[in-house]
Amino acid sequence: MTPIERDPTWPEVSFQDRMDTVRFDVHERAHIVVDGSKCEGCSTQHCVVACPANLFVPTSDGGIVFNYEQCFECGTCYLVCNVEGAITWTYPDGGHGVVFRRT
Amino acid sequence: MTTATSSSPSAPTASIAVCLKWTAARDDAGADPDDDRFAGVSAADRAALEVALRLGERWGVPVTALAAGPAGAERTLRDAIAAGADRAVRLDMDADADSRDVAFELAQATAPTGGPCADLVLCGDYSLDRGSGSVPAFIAHHRSAAQALGLVSVDTDGPAADGVVRAVRRLDGGRRELLEVPVPGVLSVEGSVASLRRAPLRRALASRTAPIEVIRTPPAHHRGAPAIVTPYRPRARVMAAPAGDDVLARLRRLTDAGAAPARGETVELAPADAARRIVEALRDWGYLADHDR
Amino acid sequence: MADVDVDVVVVGAGPAGACAAIELARAGRSVVVLERGPFPGSKNMYGGVVYPRILDELIPRWWEEAPIQRWVTRRSTMVLTPTQALTVDFRSQAWGAPPYNGATAYRPDFDHWLAGHAEAAGAQLLCSTTVVGLLRDPGGRVVGVRTDRPDGDLRAGLVIACDGVNSFVAKEAGLYGPVDAANYTLGVKETLALPKEVIDERFGVRGREGVDIEILGGTGGVNGGGFVYTNLDTLAVGAVLKLPKLAAQGTRPEEIIAGLKAHPAIAPLVEGAELKEYSAHLIPEAGLAMMPKLAGDGLLVAGDAAAMCLAAGIWLEGVNFAMASGMYAGRAAIEALSRNDVSTEGLAGYERRLSETFVLRDHRKLRRAPHLVLSDRVQHLYPELITSVVERMFRVDNPNPKPGLRRIVESERRRLGIRRRDLARDGLDGLRSFG
Repeated sequence: MTPIERDPTWPEVSFQDRMDTVRFDVHERAHIVVDGSKCEGCSTQHCVVACPANLFVPTSDGGIVFNYEQCFECGTCYLVCNVEGAITWTYPDGGHGVVFRRT
Repeated sequence: MTTATSSSPSAPTASIAVCLKWTAARDDAGADPDDDRFAGVSAADRAALEVALRLGERWGVPVTALAAGPAGAERTLRDAIAAGADRAVRLDMDADADSRDVAFELAQATAPTGGPCADLVLCGDYSLDRGSGSVPAFIAHHRSAAQALGLVSVDTDGPAADGVVRAVRRLDGGRRELLEVPVPGVLSVEGSVASLRRAPLRRALASRTAPIEVIRTPPAHHRGAPAIVTPYRPRARVMAAPAGDDVLARLRRLTDAGAAPARGETVELAPADAARRIVEALRDWGYLADHDR
Repeated sequence: MADVDVDVVVVGAGPAGACAAIELARAGRSVVVLERGPFPGSKNMYGGVVYPRILDELIPRWWEEAPIQRWVTRRSTMVLTPTQALTVDFRSQAWGAPPYNGATAYRPDFDHWLAGHAEAAGAQLLCSTTVVGLLRDPGGRVVGVRTDRPDGDLRAGLVIACDGVNSFVAKEAGLYGPVDAANYTLGVKETLALPKEVIDERFGVRGREGVDIEILGGTGGVNGGGFVYTNLDTLAVGAVLKLPKLAAQGTRPEEIIAGLKAHPAIAPLVEGAELKEYSAHLIPEAGLAMMPKLAGDGLLVAGDAAAMCLAAGIWLEGVNFAMASGMYAGRAAIEALSRNDVSTEGLAGYERRLSETFVLRDHRKLRRAPHLVLSDRVQHLYPELITSVVERMFRVDNPNPKPGLRRIVESERRRLGIRRRDLARDGLDGLRSFG
């Protein structure tokens, strides 16, 4: 019997496993706030594609659900966002957030 | 510091100590032991520090932070000073010293006759490397002090004159127990009890050069003792499948979920008799093997 | 300078902040370096190669102590199409011996080490402290920073913003023009573990020798580039992606890395490696075109905060620009403080120093390069042009005779619909930048 060949583009690890390789010291305060009401009229939702941590999840009613916990603090989301005021972006409180080890 | 009054339960508390378990938490082997970037203390230890600081403010007594470990542990102590601790003491020990030795040295250091006397000793319920939480129990033993471990809340608003600390301890089956712990006493708290305050900027800056007292400890007593490599678990026993019509019911019986405790009794005995009764019961229930006698 | 807590506050303990603090502290100035991470380097990530030549001025024989992974002795530039790869591979053993050239290093190690030198020189490093705003006097001059700690205001004679690519400090001070996403790329990276011997064998290196592969193409249609670097027992594999293209195109960053790793030229290098860490960071890609004003009253900006990152195709550098600009900012600050003039004019020595050295000279010389390298033609047409020309050059098509190179180029150019005028113009741009 021939073994089933793995599709090389198929992810080797699940996205959650990928994020689990990264250390985050999460603070209780959300450092990024998304105003979901402003996202409802957004047709592009660029944040959904571009956020490397996949923190922006579209909802069936056209809105966006956002998690701040596993954020790289890179700034991609506020730069690609084209709805004024939809994303309020700050750094987490000192000592919190992502902690890289081998980058 | 005088010692005679501080050991008397009714006398006002003279000082508070908080013990911080510094753990070198880097995951890769062969890492530099002095590398403190990934080292630190647990949420429970931070909660213990916060409780200590609140009680210290409430009672108007100084708070001493202690850590046992190599020089790398001093960053943790500086952070404690930044948050408000008045003194910091490092017990110079190996990072992997036996819990019994750590507890003995901490008890010495906080004893009335020792260095930084403390009437109330606070610890975190668990360390960053998830130990057994036994150090506070050993400290209480060496100090012959009252102990209350694994507290889920501590009343930090009570006056010092009460001579007790009111706290809540978690019991099996989701029950809670309200305790009045007499001082001198040893408390350990869970991480959810309090979140550590942010250190003010100027204190944080000053703490970088604050003096840390170092106590050299004698060679460990328990070096060479068999290392405990796994947490203690009662031995497996063969059990018949519990009665129950469906899987859920059998699972409920197995896990005791939602049920009254399957066994247990409430007795009122003198401490020594109570201890004997507990050992007896544990043996009857199969938790103690013969060689544990 | 009455009424200050400290001579200089440096915001950020990355390479720029550390070098600024080293210079200031050695000159006897009181310096506080504020770092928002729990330790210097904890928030930092990069493509993977640092060129520390500038450190000769600050830390003699730095190579004996710097926490590097491998010395880059092999540099490859690779052009990929889905089924082809053309590699220009250069090796120099000289780069594997003092005084060295480039090195791979983990930023949490390297930045931590460099900030340690600032502390050793007498700077006060305070971590876990985020700067949330600037303090200004009635005239608008920056006179300190506000941190997120209680009682967190720190008054200083001068503030040096080394707070990275998002630099809220430089933005708050009004040194930046309108922010345009097109000026930024997103770097995403996987740190992949393999035994050292396997890396040595796959990449043809020994001991501490290392390899740096820069890749054009292979980023799934998103303008940008890829990279593979060797660390001691890990590989860094990742992509640099132009933000607006990434957002509009629909493929997620980790899928683009997966596509790169699956390419027949890359897959054998990374096969079987275990993911140790996934990371992402923005890159100020546009160079001179996006650079802010470098000084304001009471304020200097250095490193990524001043967009001093050279992303010019064959040259991809940032840490060296950060270290140098931080060092020159430190020197300009010493000068300004001793003259008691920290106005924009008093701080002009900073830009003068940058203009006299590689920091601004490279950026000026290569000012067209970022745009050219990320242009659609360079990204989507030229890789195929080059690889198909080479494929026809090396294809033995007997009994047909070998065609001339000029004829191949001409026919491939026509096949791909590249206008002669565009090719000439891009060639000239390239010559102006790289020539």
